[in-house]
Amino acid sequence: MTNMIFQRTSVRKYTDKQVTKEQIDLLMKAAMAAPSTKNVQPWDFVVIQKKETLLKITEIHNYSSMLKEAPLAIVVCGNKAKSSIEGIEEFWSQDCAAATENILLEATELGLGSVWLGVYPKNEVMKPLADLLMLPDYIIPFSIISLGYPKEEVQPKDKFNPQRIHYEKWSGTNL
Amino acid sequence: MPNMIFQRTSIRKYNEQTVKEEQIELLLKAAMSAPSARNIQPWEFITIQNKETLKKIADFSSSAHMLKEASLAIVVCANINKEIPAVKGKNYWIQDCSAATENILLEATELGLGSVWIGTFPKEEMVKPVSELLKLPENIIPFSIISIGYPEGDNKPKDKFDRTKIHCETW
Repeated sequence: MTNMIFQRTSVRKYTDKQVTKEQIDLLMKAAMAAPSTKNVQPWDFVVIQKKETLLKITEIHNYSSMLKEAPLAIVVCGNKAKSSIEGIEEFWSQDCAAATENILLEATELGLGSVWLGVYPKNEVMKPLADLLMLPDYIIPFSIISLGYPKEEVQPKDKFNPQRIHYEKWSGTNL
Repeated sequence: MPNMIFQRTSIRKYNEQTVKEEQIELLLKAAMSAPSARNIQPWEFITIQNKETLKKIADFSSSAHMLKEASLAIVVCANINKEIPAVKGKNYWIQDCSAATENILLEATELGLGSVWIGTFPKEEMVKPVSELLKLPENIIPFSIISIGYPEGDNKPKDKFDRTKIHCETW
């Protein structure tokens, strides 16, 4: 029971080692392999390796200090031009969350450490980040993933809790 | 051999073979391994194997028809009472439950099972009747339903890689 799903954990400290172009390609392929509502694939990705940009993000996002050390960040964005279809307008954030999770898992598979930083729906982060990355108005920054080689070993937490499982219908416990 | 992320695809046709209890436990362990905002783990899971219940849900929406054949459904729910006051109304549980849902789909792939994500929240025609059928309290929101079974036929994953969606440093 040790596939990437069970090995993944939030890693916030990295070494100086760079992430290669091939690895970034695999991370992007994993992201785009995510399912999406009616298969509209309402996502775009900004790959950031410039130190200056990474540092600027730490001034925008309260919990992003790990980007000072990270060699790479990927900003997952929602594309409103793709998701504005009647009946599914509100599903793009679910699709982008699945794409984000795929990047975290593929990073684990590649021996990289990563952590998901929430952006959407925090206006005070979305606006300056969109400005910094020069996003057009139909592109919504959804999440930032900080990536790098782990500086130290981080054990995944065991979060399994059988009380969260209910059979056939709500079991009336754990409110 | 590509890993489960690249093998996963939506599978809507299943044979009669039933999913084992140990497999269900692995699916739920995968779900609960998902990351969540501030690690609040705002999720609950309802496993459904009763054919009658599966059929009833299938009748709620055309997007849920495959449940008539499925041997298992997992309803991923959000417990909105777990929302911490500082981020109330931000609905981070949508993102957390999405990650848990994706983990179930991937673990199903790893186990040789076929699965498909049936979007539930915020569709009124699903949320209300599913809540009633499963007797969910008011603070428990049915977020997604995953239809699961052994795949019938050959299901090749789509190649959706599109380099124009990658932007270097800025848009």
